[in-house]
Amino acid sequence: MPISFKEVSYTYSPKTPFAYEALKGVNVNFTEGKITAIIGSTGSGKTTLVQHLNALLLPSAGEIEVLDRKIKANIPVKDLKSLRKMVGLVFQFPEYQLFEETILKDVCFGPLNFGIEPQEAIKISKEMLRLVGLDESYDERSPLELSGGQKRKVAIAGILAINPQILVLDEPVAGLDPQSSKAMMKLFVELNRRYNKTILIVTHNMEHVLAYSDDVVVVDQGSVIRHVTKDEFFMDDDILNELKIAPPAIINVKAMLKAKGIELKGHHLDLESLTDAIVKEIW
Amino acid sequence: MNILEIKDLSFSYDDKSDAVDQASFTIAKGSYTTIIGQNGSGKSTIAKLVIGLLEKKAGTIIVDGLELSSETIDKIRQKVGIVFQNPDNQFIGATVSDDIAFGLENHCVDPKEMDDIIHHFADEVNMLDYLQHEPTKLSGGQKQRVAIAGVLAMAPNILIFDEATSMLDPRGKKEINDLIDEIHEENDMTIISITHDIEEVVHSDHVIVLSEGKVIMEGKPEVVLAKEKELKALSLDVPFAYKLNKALGLKGIKLKEKIHMERLVDELCQLALKK
Repeated sequence: MPISFKEVSYTYSPKTPFAYEALKGVNVNFTEGKITAIIGSTGSGKTTLVQHLNALLLPSAGEIEVLDRKIKANIPVKDLKSLRKMVGLVFQFPEYQLFEETILKDVCFGPLNFGIEPQEAIKISKEMLRLVGLDESYDERSPLELSGGQKRKVAIAGILAINPQILVLDEPVAGLDPQSSKAMMKLFVELNRRYNKTILIVTHNMEHVLAYSDDVVVVDQGSVIRHVTKDEFFMDDDILNELKIAPPAIINVKAMLKAKGIELKGHHLDLESLTDAIVKEIW
Repeated sequence: MNILEIKDLSFSYDDKSDAVDQASFTIAKGSYTTIIGQNGSGKSTIAKLVIGLLEKKAGTIIVDGLELSSETIDKIRQKVGIVFQNPDNQFIGATVSDDIAFGLENHCVDPKEMDDIIHHFADEVNMLDYLQHEPTKLSGGQKQRVAIAGVLAMAPNILIFDEATSMLDPRGKKEINDLIDEIHEENDMTIISITHDIEEVVHSDHVIVLSEGKVIMEGKPEVVLAKEKELKALSLDVPFAYKLNKALGLKGIKLKEKIHMERLVDELCQLALKK
C-alpha cells in the first residue's frame, strides 16, 4: 500500500507577512516495509514533510496517501485517532513531552489512550522500556530526574507501546551516547526486519544512513530532490559534493587516499571491503 | 597553570544516589579538554555545578584561583561561559543584536560601549550581516554562533560547550567545531567540550571519561582512546582510525597510528611507496 505525497505544498503562517512555504509541490513514494533515511540541511523541510504523515500538519495543497487513508488539502481528516495509531511519530525533542509522575505511567499513556486494558498496557509498556534499555528500577522514577538521553529513550518506548505500522523518527538518537545510539538504531532495524514495520528516519548522521537504511530521500529547499537506494547514494560522489555532506568515515578514507595518489578501485561501503581494497593496492 | 580545579565533588538530584560522585580533575589554562561518558554519567551536571546552576553536596570547585561559594558565584559566572545543546532554548533576544546585548545589559555595561562590543563579537562569529535578523530566520548553526558571541562578549576565561553541536546538521556542526578551534587558538581560550563525537575527542589536548558520576579515566586522547575494552565497557566508541588499524592488522598490515586518520593515511602512503 502506498505512502505517497502528490504535489504537496505547505505554507506556515499563510496570508501573513511571515508566510513561509516550507514544502513546494513535493512528490515522493516511500516504500512500505523499508527503512528510509530522510536527509537535508536544517530548514530544508524534512520535519514539515514527516509531520504530514499523521496529519499533524495538513497540506496547503496536494494529497497524501498513507496506507488506506487519504489526506487532502482543506479537507478535515476523519478518524484521526486510528491514523495516529497507524503512524507513530517520535518528535525531534520527544523528551519535552514527558509529563506523567512516573516513567511507567508515561509510557502507558499511549496504549491506554488507544483503549488497551490497564493490565495489558502496563505489560506492553514494561516490555518496551526493557527494549529501549531501561531496567525495572526506572519504572517508578520521575521522568524529570533522567538525563537527556534517558528521557529520549522513555519517549521512544512510549511510541513503540502504541505498536504503529509506520514509525516516523525525527532525529531519534541526537544526544544519545554512541552505544545507546547504536542499540536504538539496531532496535529500529529489528522492528523493520522482524515485524515488517515501515521506518522513516530523519537524520543528519551519515554513518547511520550508511549502516542502517535501505533508501535515501534528500530534501532541499522544500523539495525532494533525490530518492535512491543507499548504495546508489553513497556511490555517487557528485551528490555528496553537491549537498556538501560530510561522508561517512569509510568513504572519507577513500577520498583521503585518493588525494595522496592512492586510488582504490570499486566502491567500498563496509570495513571488510575497504581493507581488502587497501591490501590489494598497497601490499 | 590550572584554571579549573575540581576536588572530591559530589552532587545528588534525589538524595539516594550521587549523579556526581567524588569527582576530581584539573584543567590546564589554554587547553582543549573533552569530557565523554554515556548518558546519565554526570557530564552536564558537572558543568552546571561549575557555573553554580546547581549547588554541590560536597567537594570544592576552584576557578582561576577563586573557590566557588555564594560570595564568589557572580565573579565565577563572569569567568565561565557556557553554550548549551539546543540552540532554540538559549535565544533570548528578539534579534541577533538584542541577544548578544542581553548578558552585557545584565552586567550593566555602559550603553555607549555596548554597540562596539556587539559588533566586535558578532564579527568574531561571522554574524555581522545578521544583527537585525530574528531567530526564526537563522539556521541551527547560526543560532549557536549567536549564543557563542553572547558568551564571548562577557570576556570569560573558560568556555564550556555542553553538546553544543549534537542538534546541528553536518554543515552546522562543522561550522561550530571550526569556530571553537579558532577561538581556542586565537584567543588562547580554555575550552571544555562535553561531547559524544569521538572524532572531536581525537583533536583535543586532554580527555576525561566519566561513568556513574566518577572520573574513570583521563589523559591524552592517544592513550585513552586506545583502551578499546575499557571504552566499550562504558558504552563508548573508539575512533574510526582505530577500527581501520585493527582490521588492517588482521590482514597483515601493521600500522603505528591508531587515533588520527590523517597520520594513518600518511603511513599507508609510505607503505605504498615501498611496494
